[in-house]
Amino acid sequence: MLEVQGLHAGYGLVEVLHGLTFQVPKGQVVTLIGSNGAGKTTTMRALSGMIRPRSGTIRLNGKDIAGLESHDVAREGLAHSPEGRRVFPTLSVEDNLTLGAFPRLTGSRPKGDISADRERAFTLFPRLKERRNQLAGTLSGGEQQMLAMGRALMLKPEILLLDEPSMGLAPKLVEEVFRIIRQLKEEKVTMLLVEQFAMAALGVADHAYVLENGRIRFQGPAAQLKNDPAVKAAYLGGH
Amino acid sequence: MTIFLQLVASGVAVGMIYAAIAFGYQLTFATSKTLNFGQGEALAMGALFGLTLVPFTGYWLMIPLVLVFGFGLGAVVERLGVRPAIAIKSEYGWIMATIALGIIFKNVAENVWGRDDLPFPSPLPDVPYEIGGVRILPMEMLIVAGALLMMLAVEVFNRKSIWGKAVVATSNDIDAAGLMGINTKRVITLSYSISAMTAAFAGVLVAPVTLTGATMGSVLALKAFAVAIIGGLESGLGVIVGGLILGVAETLTGFYISTGYKDVPGLILLLVVLSIRPVGLFGKAVIKKV
Repeated sequence: MLEVQGLHAGYGLVEVLHGLTFQVPKGQVVTLIGSNGAGKTTTMRALSGMIRPRSGTIRLNGKDIAGLESHDVAREGLAHSPEGRRVFPTLSVEDNLTLGAFPRLTGSRPKGDISADRERAFTLFPRLKERRNQLAGTLSGGEQQMLAMGRALMLKPEILLLDEPSMGLAPKLVEEVFRIIRQLKEEKVTMLLVEQFAMAALGVADHAYVLENGRIRFQGPAAQLKNDPAVKAAYLGGH
Repeated sequence: MTIFLQLVASGVAVGMIYAAIAFGYQLTFATSKTLNFGQGEALAMGALFGLTLVPFTGYWLMIPLVLVFGFGLGAVVERLGVRPAIAIKSEYGWIMATIALGIIFKNVAENVWGRDDLPFPSPLPDVPYEIGGVRILPMEMLIVAGALLMMLAVEVFNRKSIWGKAVVATSNDIDAAGLMGINTKRVITLSYSISAMTAAFAGVLVAPVTLTGATMGSVLALKAFAVAIIGGLESGLGVIVGGLILGVAETLTGFYISTGYKDVPGLILLLVVLSIRPVGLFGKAVIKKV
């Protein structure tokens, strides 16, 4: 369970988030939607310690992780699949997955069976299996997105942050990404999803928050927001 | 022809020393885009420390101790000189800091071991092997083998161990590496440690054929820097080729032209590479976004 209270964050002198409060209950999928520049990615970055929040608390299973560096946040069990995928191009697909389990391999999270989890990732993303020894930099955009998600899952996270998983992908691959998100939801993986395809995100999520200029404008059960005329007009546009 | 081959053989040994030091530059550049400009002093400190140990341990047992010493020295340089500069996002602070630490190490070495150059006992006989008329010292063979072995060992570490993979991940994308739970600051310290360790090892490899002293590394490190630029700061193969080109060019110039011009071809090569291929012979072109 992730509980965010009064989160302020930004870059340099510019504050982007002006006090966000939201929750991601255990086993649920929550989505943040909003136009470009609303602060979705900044929120993700503040949660995972890529940027330091100015104030506010971020509780993961009760423990405040606000202000921790990203490697310590990961050790607390928060996995962040970042915008733009950010796979390690000169490492093989398999090594990328292994690195996702780094805290498990170095003793800061329960180890479990890492090679079994890697095989599980290959079942979830069969395209990666054929390419397991290939360098990640040679994968297509869609395959890199699968790898980024698979890598994040290797942490066996308490919560998975997915930032724009469908960005730049062909429609067929977008469907594939959402199929996997649905499957993870069935497996009770707690997820926070940021998506440009707001309709699709609302379709899979339990609960949604609408961000506008670094503030939460609306929130509610995803199914309800999906049909809310005000939300529809302002944010869902043609999608 | 025999003379020519003889010069090439001698050049190869010198070139591998350049390659080993240049390899050290690459290691820290990969993780942090910074370099230890005190690599020459790390080399000299390693050799002098080794010289002190040799009477007690002999040459071979001394090597692991020197490796540990170099490892520690690199960590000190990173923590004192580089990390503070990175923390305040100073783009050039690390240059001054690593040069300053190098000067301090040199002064310490002069005070501890004196200003005179000292002979380093050779672990191998001084009788050269003769292969087709070319005479090669056993120590020269050890230099080539040792330098290659060390680079190979680091490569294997990077490819096979989880910490090595963390080093490569940090070199690829430092933010994404952080998200994996990798403490990238610690990885940068590790890369400095391994880098100074390679320099210290190069020091005890080269010392038996040169002399040992506080300033022995300065020129070597400068030339190795040229090698790193010629070969490309991001290409492991590049430094070996670059080192060999420079080493051989030097011995050839020294013989056929004049020893006075020995250092010129390397510098000319450096200027040529910088003007036509700034990323190095084996480097990949990178566009820096501003």
